Amino acid sequence: MAGLVLKGIGKSFGPVEVLRGIDLDVADGEFVVFVGPSGCGKSTLLRVIAGLEEVTSGSIRIDGQDVTTERAAERGLAMVFQSYALYPHMSVYRNIAFALENMRLPREEIDARVRRAATMLRLTEYLDRKPGALSGGQRQRVAIGRAVVRDPKIFLFDEPLSNLDAELRVATRKELAGLHAEIGGTMIYVTHDQVEAMTLANRIVVLNKGRIEQVGTPLDLYNRPANLFVAGFIGSPRMNFIRGQVGPEGRLVTPDGKVNLPLPPGSAATGEVTIGIRPEHVAPCSPAEADARIAVELVEQLGSESYLYGTLADGTALTLRSPLEDPARRGEEMPVRFDPARLHLFDAAGLAIRP
Amino acid sequence: MSANGSPPRAIPRDSFASRLIEAVAGLADRPMAWIQHAVGGRGMAYVFLAPNILFFGLFVFLPIGINMAMSLTGGTNLFLSERPFVGGDHYRALMQCGSYLDPASCREDHFWKGVSNTLKFTLFQMVAMVGTALVTALVLNRKIRGRGFFRAVYFFPVLLSPVVVALIWKWILQRDGLLNGAITLAGGEKILFFVEPGWAMFWAVFVSVWAHMGFYTLILLAGLQAIPADLYEAAEMDGTKPMRVLTRITLPLLWPNLVVVLVLVLIKAVQTFDEVFVLTGGGPGTATLMVVQYIYETAFANQVQNFGLAAAASMLLGSLLFALTMLQLWIARRKAA
Repeated sequence: MAGLVLKGIGKSFGPVEVLRGIDLDVADGEFVVFVGPSGCGKSTLLRVIAGLEEVTSGSIRIDGQDVTTERAAERGLAMVFQSYALYPHMSVYRNIAFALENMRLPREEIDARVRRAATMLRLTEYLDRKPGALSGGQRQRVAIGRAVVRDPKIFLFDEPLSNLDAELRVATRKELAGLHAEIGGTMIYVTHDQVEAMTLANRIVVLNKGRIEQVGTPLDLYNRPANLFVAGFIGSPRMNFIRGQVGPEGRLVTPDGKVNLPLPPGSAATGEVTIGIRPEHVAPCSPAEADARIAVELVEQLGSESYLYGTLADGTALTLRSPLEDPARRGEEMPVRFDPARLHLFDAAGLAIRP
Repeated sequence: MSANGSPPRAIPRDSFASRLIEAVAGLADRPMAWIQHAVGGRGMAYVFLAPNILFFGLFVFLPIGINMAMSLTGGTNLFLSERPFVGGDHYRALMQCGSYLDPASCREDHFWKGVSNTLKFTLFQMVAMVGTALVTALVLNRKIRGRGFFRAVYFFPVLLSPVVVALIWKWILQRDGLLNGAITLAGGEKILFFVEPGWAMFWAVFVSVWAHMGFYTLILLAGLQAIPADLYEAAEMDGTKPMRVLTRITLPLLWPNLVVVLVLVLIKAVQTFDEVFVLTGGGPGTATLMVVQYIYETAFANQVQNFGLAAAASMLLGSLLFALTMLQLWIARRKAA
């Protein structure tokens, strides 16, 4: 296994700049997840690392060695594709053994490695089947088996769970986490699903418009987002944002003056700011304790909890999570309180202001 | 929806056009109701199929029947009623051979020479056609500049009439043709391409490949483009060498298309007549005489028009083509399944 260092990676397709100045260090054995909205460049970055795309600028080092100009095959990496990319005319055994045959390993070793991977991934009874005769989950495991058997320096996963149904996705996610714990390899994983990112990653790389917005542990990103984009992207439902000016009393006042909210404790911000608060950190309360009132527009009852969607007096949308089954009705006015310890503050440029 | 995304405009109600359509359609109401009453709902399908079946029967099945009857009758008269029944005499005549490997030992030596030439032509043409079409498709499937232009260039000869193709190449290959002009300009001696049997067969195959390769290239190109790009990326990640990618991934996945091309080329080669006939006339001697040309000459071009013998030969050829077509259908169905 190996570490990875990206320095100033840029990638353009003609006039379109897809990646700009990407710098990243991935430690040996780390599970790093690239996450971001569609078109943010996360899959392109993975393909650049794999060697399937050439970089326009910058360098890639794997295990201390510069591989920027090396072909994909020479980098010693393995990739699990979104479509699985299994060879449809070959049996599961041949699919898994194919790369080892390319390496001209002895037949006995190939057989031993294939059977070991098959046992680990519960594929032994399917070794003679063609991919067309397997379920989505089984195909996914074959694709992983094909990567595992090569004992690569780094595993690359390109949205490997996106073709699975919700239940199978959860199960396969657990298996992937287990696999990482078992073989301990360096893994780079691309997804647009933040739950996958939060549950699998040692560190998450949030990408937007070809740039890295923030790199950190899942809880780092959740608790200390570096900017408005990360704050809005991580967490579901997304964080609430209320824009305004810091008033003379050190509180946020919305432009129309109808909403007046506290700033995070110890904050010395001035001028135009944005307050961020996650739905789980806003709670219904008595009128006396209220920071604000919302007009409830929609209630989503999920059984274990409910989400209330409403608007503040100035029209800003606000979502809150309630542990109650039936917390309010549409059209009701509800006093709410913001957890002051969980308030986030961002400046006019959208960057986080730390107390 | 129309091309610009808006829903198609309906013909306004009560307009002249809508009243005209209704009036014309209304004319068929009574007869259709009467037919439906007579044949029942299920029978209507056959009523709608009837015109096509009639057309097909008249121009395909009836001629086959007449041909079969012709093959069992003798004489020079064209009317079946005037032709004496001879049973399998024509078939026996065609099959009467000292050795099937030596056409000269056969009673109908030209038929067997035609069979032998057609087999040779088919074999060479299949190898050359499939080989060049495959290589061309592989090259055109790569991201090369002017790919669309080259695709059009290779397909263009397919649009030409076989007679035009043969005349173009006859002009190039004749004694004082373009090619011999180039050879003499380069200091070489003229080659009599249509006098030397080897050269005549070579050019018959070459011209046929030149004329039809574009069509088969297109079929193979469609097959190549249906192979998902990520399989090649997976192969690249797996460290697969280019030749191994070709033999272990591309060709196996292209196999269904290749089989279709092989069978189509085979059928077309067995049927070959017009191009070779115009190009070489079957010569020199009988060096490029094909079975179909033998049938044509026996029935229409010889002084004694032996329709019966020609019909028997075409029945034998037809049986072979039927078997090949069944093979193609079977393969196509297996592919679809």
